[in-house]
Amino acid sequence: MTSKAPTMRHIRLICVYWCRHAVRSGSGLVYLMIALVFGLSVAHILIMPVEQLMLRQKREMGRTDPQAVEDLIVGVGRPITQWVLGLRSMQEIAQQNAMAPPSGADERSETGSAREETGGYDSWTNFLLEEKPALLSAILLVMLFGMPFVIPFLAFNQVSGDVQSRGLRYLLLRTERRHIYFGRFLGVALFSTLVMALIVMTIVLYLAMKIRIYPALALLSWAGQGFLALAILMLPYIAVCSLISASVDSPFLSLVLAKLAIAGVLLLAVLGGLAWKPAEYLLYLLPWGWQNHLLHPEPGHWLVAALACLVYTSVFLLLGYVRFARRDL
Amino acid sequence: MTEVVSIKGLSKRFGRIQALREISFSVPSHSVFGLLGPNGAGKTTLFSIVADFLKADAGTVEVLGIDTRSISRLRGRLSILPQDAQFQRNVPILDQLVFFRLLAGRTSQEARGEVTESLEMVGLQSVAKRRIGSLSHGMVKRLGIAQAFLGQPEVILLDEPTAGLDPANARQIRDLIKQLQERATIVVSSHNLAEIQELCDHVAIMDHGKLVLAGSVDEITRSDRKFCLRLSRPLDEAERERVCVLEGVRDIQREVPSVPGLGGDGADYSVRLDLSGGQVDQDAVMASLLRHVLDMGVTPRHLTEGRSLEAQFLDLTGDVAEGVA
Repeated sequence: MTSKAPTMRHIRLICVYWCRHAVRSGSGLVYLMIALVFGLSVAHILIMPVEQLMLRQKREMGRTDPQAVEDLIVGVGRPITQWVLGLRSMQEIAQQNAMAPPSGADERSETGSAREETGGYDSWTNFLLEEKPALLSAILLVMLFGMPFVIPFLAFNQVSGDVQSRGLRYLLLRTERRHIYFGRFLGVALFSTLVMALIVMTIVLYLAMKIRIYPALALLSWAGQGFLALAILMLPYIAVCSLISASVDSPFLSLVLAKLAIAGVLLLAVLGGLAWKPAEYLLYLLPWGWQNHLLHPEPGHWLVAALACLVYTSVFLLLGYVRFARRDL
Repeated sequence: MTEVVSIKGLSKRFGRIQALREISFSVPSHSVFGLLGPNGAGKTTLFSIVADFLKADAGTVEVLGIDTRSISRLRGRLSILPQDAQFQRNVPILDQLVFFRLLAGRTSQEARGEVTESLEMVGLQSVAKRRIGSLSHGMVKRLGIAQAFLGQPEVILLDEPTAGLDPANARQIRDLIKQLQERATIVVSSHNLAEIQELCDHVAIMDHGKLVLAGSVDEITRSDRKFCLRLSRPLDEAERERVCVLEGVRDIQREVPSVPGLGGDGADYSVRLDLSGGQVDQDAVMASLLRHVLDMGVTPRHLTEGRSLEAQFLDLTGDVAEGVA
């Protein structure tokens, strides 16, 4: 057997073993619960007003008006989308809302002015809210923003717990450090991807069967791209957790540091940018500055964003591996 | 004799603490090698460096002629019972051990067969599907030993294998180690000097990170070998002096029981031999001694080998060493 074959076999075995036992180990279960609660809550919060409007329309008119529903979604989704995309600040959005006439989305749709109002906005927002199923776009965008905060609950304990308990010592004479490190990274990535698939599938099923305002094919293809975006985006954040987990012995410290790193970079960039504009570039220490491009209308943009995510993943993984390979275990 | 483990100039520091200072010794093939030392002597650190868990600051370790910095080349040939290493709490022990064998390239069925065999060796086959949390301390220790015996390793490192085991289990493990000596070289660390003397043919004694003595048990105890002898009646002073002048006998001392009356009939003596001259062997000295005793009209009732190694150990490490059995 060549040396490559056992390497792949060991990495695969460790990956599958980690994934199989992730739920039993606590961190997998906690992540599953938090990710499900987060993903489905986001969906619930965004879908609920639409369902209420549809119910009201049915009660008042005996049928639903898809155009009015669409306009409501675009009306609600636009400021959220623009803020998440970083196209406009909260302040600008608030000013815009203050200047707008105090009318409901359904009323606007009746006058036919809603589309004219949106005409002046950027093509990215229009793509997400008008060319693609807007409700799903909004949900995916919020998930892209929020899931990096959730992923440490799964990824914080890739090796630190086993270093602390010395349980890793049973493995060290049976495989190589690189197999353990990369196998577990892939195990976390696989588990995270499965959870993402579960959440996206649940949301898509609900939208397709309950809301029924989007064509199934459009919904499915957009959900596919959204799922891919989420799956790719998780990789660099898992790699950050791998690096931290390989550097400290305590799983609790690893969790805290992972949280601080992921949230801290964003906070520093946003708050620092208010005082000193170039501080906004701190976003690029992590994929924060790239991740929304995974839902960009231009294929070139999302390809570059995906590539950037893979580069971040490689760098963090490599740094973590160097640390893990050299340290006392 | 071929050297299976060769340690040269090994040093390791943890912050301000010098855990190992230029340790050098070698372990002969198919020996049971005992690593002795009080708490904090550096035994576990030494084991951890041999298994490449820890990186040495200086020095080299070779196992089966392979530098352990390339530990992957020893995969399947070296195994260890690490001290204080915990198994995963929420995974059945069978799954954990089967996983180890899958990594060794076994099929699932082969792995299960080997694991079951190994668990049977340590008497744990009935708990294979249980989790660690439901096992006693002794069972967890035996499980650690079972994983160390998995496969056909040529060198097995056992860090305090009988610590925390009841006498029956400890005996079982010692018997297993003796059996395995036929096919593997075994390095055992222990505080239990009687155990080391019983099990090992070679020892290294460490103290404060330094190697103070290494060699075969026979060589080490030769200058001060001890036996416990029970006689039908106490010897008077003249009889005792006649025994002391026998060649190879260093002295004979009456052992007074710590609780009066506990000794029963007869009198207990400890006999210390000095075989360092090399002209007489142990059996000849003991035969001569027993003949003299019988000639004096005294019947020897019981003879056991004493803890000769303990005297050496205490001399070398100081008698305040902690945890010495």
